Amino acid sequence: MADRKKLAIITTFWDWRSHANHMGERFLVGYPRDGLWHHPDFDIVGAFVDQRDGDDDLSSHRAKEFGFTVYPTIAAALRLGTDQLAVDAVLLIAEHGDYPSNEKGQKLYPRFEFFSQIVDVFRQDGRCVPVFNDKHLSYSFDKARQMVAMARELDFPLLSGSSLPVTFRMPPITLEGHVDEALMIGVGGSDAMDYHALEAMQSMVERRQGGETGVRAVQLIEGADVWRAGEDGRWSRRLLEGALARSDSRSGIALTDGRPQDLAHSDELEELVEDPSAYLIEYVDGLKATLLMLNGAVQDYTFAARCDGEVRSLQFLLPGAPNVVYSACLMQKAEEMFDSGKAPYPAERTMLVCGMLERCLESKITDHQRLETPELILSYQPPETPQFVGAPTGP
Amino acid sequence: MTQTAVHRSPGKRPRVAGLISEYRRYSHGQNIIDRLMGGYGWESQWHYPELDVVSLYVDQFPENDLSREREQRHPDLHIYPTIAEALSLGGSELAVDGVVLIAEHGDYPLNDKGQMLYPRYDFFQQTVDVFRASGRSVPVFCDKHLSYNFDWARQMVDTAQELGFPFMAGSSLPVARRVPSIDLPLGSEAEEIVGIGVGNIDSYDIHALEAMQCLAERRRGGETGVKSVRGLRGDSVWQAMDEGAWDPALFEACLCRSLSLKPADETHRHTYPTRQELPGLVERPPVAYQIQYNDGLKATMFLLPGLAQDITAAVRIKNQPEPFSVLFYLGAGHHMQPNFFNPLSHHIENLICKGETPFPIERTLLTTGTAIAGIDSLHQGEQLINTPHLDISYQVEASTFRRT
Repeated sequence: MADRKKLAIITTFWDWRSHANHMGERFLVGYPRDGLWHHPDFDIVGAFVDQRDGDDDLSSHRAKEFGFTVYPTIAAALRLGTDQLAVDAVLLIAEHGDYPSNEKGQKLYPRFEFFSQIVDVFRQDGRCVPVFNDKHLSYSFDKARQMVAMARELDFPLLSGSSLPVTFRMPPITLEGHVDEALMIGVGGSDAMDYHALEAMQSMVERRQGGETGVRAVQLIEGADVWRAGEDGRWSRRLLEGALARSDSRSGIALTDGRPQDLAHSDELEELVEDPSAYLIEYVDGLKATLLMLNGAVQDYTFAARCDGEVRSLQFLLPGAPNVVYSACLMQKAEEMFDSGKAPYPAERTMLVCGMLERCLESKITDHQRLETPELILSYQPPETPQFVGAPTGP
Repeated sequence: MTQTAVHRSPGKRPRVAGLISEYRRYSHGQNIIDRLMGGYGWESQWHYPELDVVSLYVDQFPENDLSREREQRHPDLHIYPTIAEALSLGGSELAVDGVVLIAEHGDYPLNDKGQMLYPRYDFFQQTVDVFRASGRSVPVFCDKHLSYNFDWARQMVDTAQELGFPFMAGSSLPVARRVPSIDLPLGSEAEEIVGIGVGNIDSYDIHALEAMQCLAERRRGGETGVKSVRGLRGDSVWQAMDEGAWDPALFEACLCRSLSLKPADETHRHTYPTRQELPGLVERPPVAYQIQYNDGLKATMFLLPGLAQDITAAVRIKNQPEPFSVLFYLGAGHHMQPNFFNPLSHHIENLICKGETPFPIERTLLTTGTAIAGIDSLHQGEQLINTPHLDISYQVEASTFRRT
C-alpha cells in the first residue's frame, strides 16, 4: 500500500455548517464518488483555525478523534511543529466566520493573508506543494492577481473556485461554438452567492469559439432598472425563458395551486422578485453576459446561452442538506490535483471572476455606472476536456 | 408491439379526456393535466402541448378540489358526471382523440393487504366500453401501475391489444432525468440489481420497481419474466443483509448515488452509515422484495424511508469490477416543483399526437405483478411467492429517459 499523503487544512472557522466541514471533512470520512464511497489516500495531519472560540467549533473534537494537531499559526500547521514544510498538500478554506465587510458589501475573508503566509513557508523551506483555495481567491482583484502570480512564480499547482462549475449539470452540456449572449439566474446574497453564479456562468462561456478574451466593461443595476434593461434588450427575455425552463423551483401560483408557471412571460415574475439585480458583463469579443439575481422567484441556479444561433440551457445541481453533494464534487477536483500535481482547470478563471464581481460591486456603489475594466482584459486556456462531475465520457 | 394509426381529423389538434380520481394541488391528476393544459419547461423553452384537454371526469371532489376552478379558467374544458359522457363529450359516441387515466390520490378503501383500491380497472373498463360501442379506439395513458389486482392488469393489457390502441402506463421514474445522465448499455450481462427507494408498499414500491425494471430489461437477452418474489419487513431485512442475501457493493453504490443520504453523525458530518447505524436511520420498518427472474437475474428492492429521500439503483455486470449505478432525479428538496412530471407529460403528448409508446406496456404489467407479489408475500408472513403468471417477455431498444 502506498504511503498515505499528508494534508494541512487552513481555515477561518469550523462548525457543522461551514465549508470546513462540507469540504475539508471529506478528507476525514470520505465522500460519494462515481457510485462508491471513496476514501482519499490523505490524512489531515495539521490544522490552523483562525476563529475557534465559539461553542460550535468542531476542530478540537475532530483533532482528538482523528489524531491531528490544531496549531496556533499557519506556518506551524504546514511544518507540523518542525522547522520544515512537512505536508504534501494544503486545503485553504476561508469561508465563514466573523469578519468585517467593506463598503461594497464584500466580506473581508483573509484568503490573501493566509495564502501569503503559506507561500512564505514555501519560499523559506525551498519546497512547494499543491494548494486548493475554496471559492474566490479574494474580494480584491489585485490580491487575487498577486495570488495567481505567486503560484506561477513558485510553480506550484493552484486550484480555486466554486463548486458550481464542477457539480452535475442537468443536462450535462458544454458550449463549444460561437456564443454571443448568455444569461445566468442565481439567488442569495452578495457577495456570497453572486460569486458562485458568476463563476458558474464563466465556466459555461469560457469554452466558446475563439477562447476567453476577458472582460472590457461591467455594470450592476438594481430594482426596476433590471426589468427596463430587459425591455431595452440589454439582456434577453428569450434566454430568461431558456434558463427558467430548467428551473425546478416552486413559487407564486405554482406554490398556491400547483400550476407550473411560464414566469418568463408573465407579470408574476416582477411581483415575486424582491430587489432584483443584474450584473451586466461585456466581454472583449462582443459576448454579452448577464447574471440576474432573482430572489423570491426561484431557488436554483440555471443558465442559458445562444450558441451557434440555438438557445441551450441547463441547471447546476445543488442538492441541499443532508450531504450537499456538490461539495464532494469540488473535493474530488481538489484530490485530483493533489494526486496528479496538475490543476484540472486554471486559477485564472477564478481570478477573472473575482475581478468581475469586485468591479460589479464597485458599479453598485457608484451610482450603478458602467465601468471600463482594462485590468480584466486577459485570456486563459480552459481545460481540454470538461471537468464537471458526470460529464459525458466517450461517444 | 403493434400500434395503430392515431384517429383524428387531419390538421386538428387532438382532443383529450382526463379521467381523474382527485384534482387537488400536487395530486397526480393536477400535476399531469395542468402540464398538458398550461405547458411546462422543456428543453430551453416553455412548451405548450399540441393538444386540447376538453373534458374531465373527476371521481372525488374534496374541499381543496381544483378541477372546477380549471373548468372556469379554460372555457373549452367541461367536467362530465360520467366517464362515458367525458369520452363522448355529452354525445352518443367517442368524441376524443386520447384518454389520460389518473386514478392516484383520493379517499379509497384499503384492503387487508394494505393496497389502496384505486379504480383504475373500473375507469379503464368504462373507457373500453365506449371504444367498443363506438367501433373505434384512441390512445390511453394509465398513471402508475395498472391495478392492485394482477388479473385485471393482465386483462387491461389484453384488451388494449385486442382493440389495437396504443397503451402506455407506469411511473414517471423510468423517463425522468438521471444523475449522472446514463443508461445501462443495451445487452449488458447483468447478474444482480439493487434498488433503494422511499415510502410505503403499494404506493412507492412500484416506483422503485419501475426504476429497476427499466434497467433490468436492457440486459442481454431482454426481459424474460419473474419466477418468484419474497417480501421481507423489519428485522428480516437486516438479518438477510447479514446473511449476504444481496451484493453489499450494490447497496453501497445506490446510497453513493443518493443526493440525500442521512448521516448518522450527530455533528452533521457527511459519513457513510455503518451496519450498526443503519437501523437507527430508517424511520419505519424497512421493506425488501427479493425478486428472482426466469433467466437467473436476481434483484432486491428496498424501501428505507428516512435513510435517504430519493430512488437509486445499481447493477452488477459480469466481469466488470465496479457496478453501474444511477439516481432517478425527482428534484432536490421538498421546495421543488415536481418537474419529473415534465418528461412523463411529454411522452403522453407523443402517445396521443403520434400514437408512440416510449416502452412496452409489458414493463408495467411485470412491475404491477411484482409489486403485488411482494405485498402478498409480506401479507403471508414473508412466504416465497412463485409467480408463473409473471412469465412475461419483452424487448426494448431505445433509451427513453430525459437526457436533453
